[in-house]
Amino acid sequence: MILEALEREGVEYIFGYPGGANLPIYQHLHEHPKLQHILVRHEQGAAHMADGYARACGKPGVVFATSGPGALNLVTGLATAYMDSVPMIAITGQVASTQVGRDAFQETDVIGATSSVTKHSYLVTNIAQLPRVIHEAFHIATTGRPGPVLIDICKDVQQADAERITPERLEIPGYQLNGHVDLDRAREAAHALAQAERPVILAGHGVLLSRAERELRAFAERAGAPVGTTLLGIGAFPVNHPLALHMTGFMGTGWNLKAVQNADVLMMVGMRVDDRVTARLADFAPKVKTFIHIDIDGSEMGKNVRPHIELVADARNALEAMTPHVGPLNEGRGRWLAQIDAWREEHPLKYTHSNGRLQPQDVLIDMYRRCRNDAIVVADVGQNQIWAALWWNYDRPGMFLNSGGSGTMGFALPAAIGAKFGRPDKAVWCVAGEGGFVMTAQELSVAVEHQLDVKIVLLNNFSLGMVRQFQDDFYGGVRSQSDLTHMPDFVKLSDAYGMPAIRVDKFEEIGPALDTAEKTKGPFLIDFRIDPEANVYPIVPLGKSLNDFWEAPN
Amino acid sequence: MIETTPPQTVAARPSPGSAEDLAVRVRVLSVLVDDGSNTLSKVSGLIRRRGFHVRSISVGPSRHPGRSRMTLTIDAGHAETDQVRKQLERLVEVIEIEDVTGQLVHSRELVVAKVSSSEVAGLVKWGAKVLESGPDGTTVEFAGEGKDVGDFIDELLHHGVLDVARSGPVVMRRTA
Repeated sequence: MILEALEREGVEYIFGYPGGANLPIYQHLHEHPKLQHILVRHEQGAAHMADGYARACGKPGVVFATSGPGALNLVTGLATAYMDSVPMIAITGQVASTQVGRDAFQETDVIGATSSVTKHSYLVTNIAQLPRVIHEAFHIATTGRPGPVLIDICKDVQQADAERITPERLEIPGYQLNGHVDLDRAREAAHALAQAERPVILAGHGVLLSRAERELRAFAERAGAPVGTTLLGIGAFPVNHPLALHMTGFMGTGWNLKAVQNADVLMMVGMRVDDRVTARLADFAPKVKTFIHIDIDGSEMGKNVRPHIELVADARNALEAMTPHVGPLNEGRGRWLAQIDAWREEHPLKYTHSNGRLQPQDVLIDMYRRCRNDAIVVADVGQNQIWAALWWNYDRPGMFLNSGGSGTMGFALPAAIGAKFGRPDKAVWCVAGEGGFVMTAQELSVAVEHQLDVKIVLLNNFSLGMVRQFQDDFYGGVRSQSDLTHMPDFVKLSDAYGMPAIRVDKFEEIGPALDTAEKTKGPFLIDFRIDPEANVYPIVPLGKSLNDFWEAPN
Repeated sequence: MIETTPPQTVAARPSPGSAEDLAVRVRVLSVLVDDGSNTLSKVSGLIRRRGFHVRSISVGPSRHPGRSRMTLTIDAGHAETDQVRKQLERLVEVIEIEDVTGQLVHSRELVVAKVSSSEVAGLVKWGAKVLESGPDGTTVEFAGEGKDVGDFIDELLHHGVLDVARSGPVVMRRTA
């Protein structure tokens, strides 16, 4: 009955792992050939795969795990999806309803353990609840601000017989969607932005989730307003557009931060305005007279920055409603855009590439030259993530995936595998540091088993690079536990998993190595031995304001 | 909706710890919830997670089957005060919330107390009702607004108070 319900919801892939408390479901899996089950090597891998799948193709990712340790291994993956508003359904087996609360074998209070990292959760103790619960779960996971929903199903329920029940009409009184736009406020916001002397728009993940990139572009062009994105909003606005400010936040571009800190009207669309965006909150965008905040989740209004005009609405609906009301623009607009161009010249992204060591930016620049925007880049967490965010001119949604909110190391490999299942038509590049990579490296088995064209670019700097950089710059230069010695030989490791790999430590070898990776069918790994001193710039020192960003040394 | 005040971040509030600050931070919410097995822990977990603090809570069945009415008095801590309502609204288990802070409401707390003295005429004059009286003492109940209940408990001290059980407030908006 569970599997039938999943078929009804249009599920193609299940990323899962069997165990004692979900065996009754697995017993019937072969009767449902439409559901393809991907056997992972660790449940965390399943959660990240489902997450990568959902981010890449927009459909909810589905995960199976057994009770106790199986379900607990999902927690990090659920938290990752929850922080980044990714639709996911996790179905976990639970001990029999008669055993609940008796500390039975592999019993854990999974609802309790996951409540704070799921949008909603259900404990199913009776077969009659099941069709409604599954239908509701998909609805809740995919609508409004999406997120993971967990369904914990007692083993006896999985074994119970029931007549086929089609789910009743959805009726969830505690779940109201904020879809419609307050037109007066939309008009007010459009006027405020048009009349601003120094407007800035920042776009977050919400723009991608509501597929509002076209509407954002139309609005920005009409209002003559420059647009930056958050780390998760990358792809919401083309980086090579004349109005683009590229990435904002404490590792954002210099011209973006200059624009934000000098803006008089700041419109924030589909974003949480978290500490990585604002740096020191008291000094965030200090010249702004009017903050405009658009988000589908009303609790984001005033959570960090109190807006003067708030629109609790879907980003696309809001932008669509606003565009016709952009009146005459402020006369000073030309000056503002010229000023931003000057800042772009003055504070370009830069790096050192002549010190004889392999620079990560060289690798990314070569990759971008060959892939442009036809490949999905899945980054891990740390320096590799920021390099992959900044050194690529993303021009459309869904091409850069990363764990922005939760910053989960080990995300990239399984998420890239999930992304490839979701978008088999796209080349998928997994960009990771060696630290994060070994946290979920066991999922290489899945890539090999399914001969997935996932190309792994390891930016190997023999350390936890971001930690090392923070220690060097902000913690008195004391390098503590950030050197990664005794790591595996990644070429041999790949070989052990049955996949090809090569090692690169010279600039001249980048191109040929990437050629080989592209030509090879199935998974491929390149261990790029990069400059261990390579750093991420710009960066705002911890606790400082966005004004205080440091740039790459000359 | 354009305010005339300068842009504010969450830092701008009366000085921390002052009585004024406390009055701003504390919200009284009347919340209609699904009475599922996870509801109380979802509500209390959210309150803890967001850095809020429960000052009082009363839960009982509502007149709708399957739904309970919670009356929560919550200190918003370092968050914007309207975050308490907004965060609770996000829970699927929460059906309806009314923020009744500072509204004209009927607010009642119940106290049941045991005193050693058998001479409780003074308490009865306050409006207390005698529930039980015996050689070991007298048990009385009293309901009233928070301040009256506080005063009543002070009064109990003169009667050799042995034990006190006090509820949180339940509230209802005044009709006029």
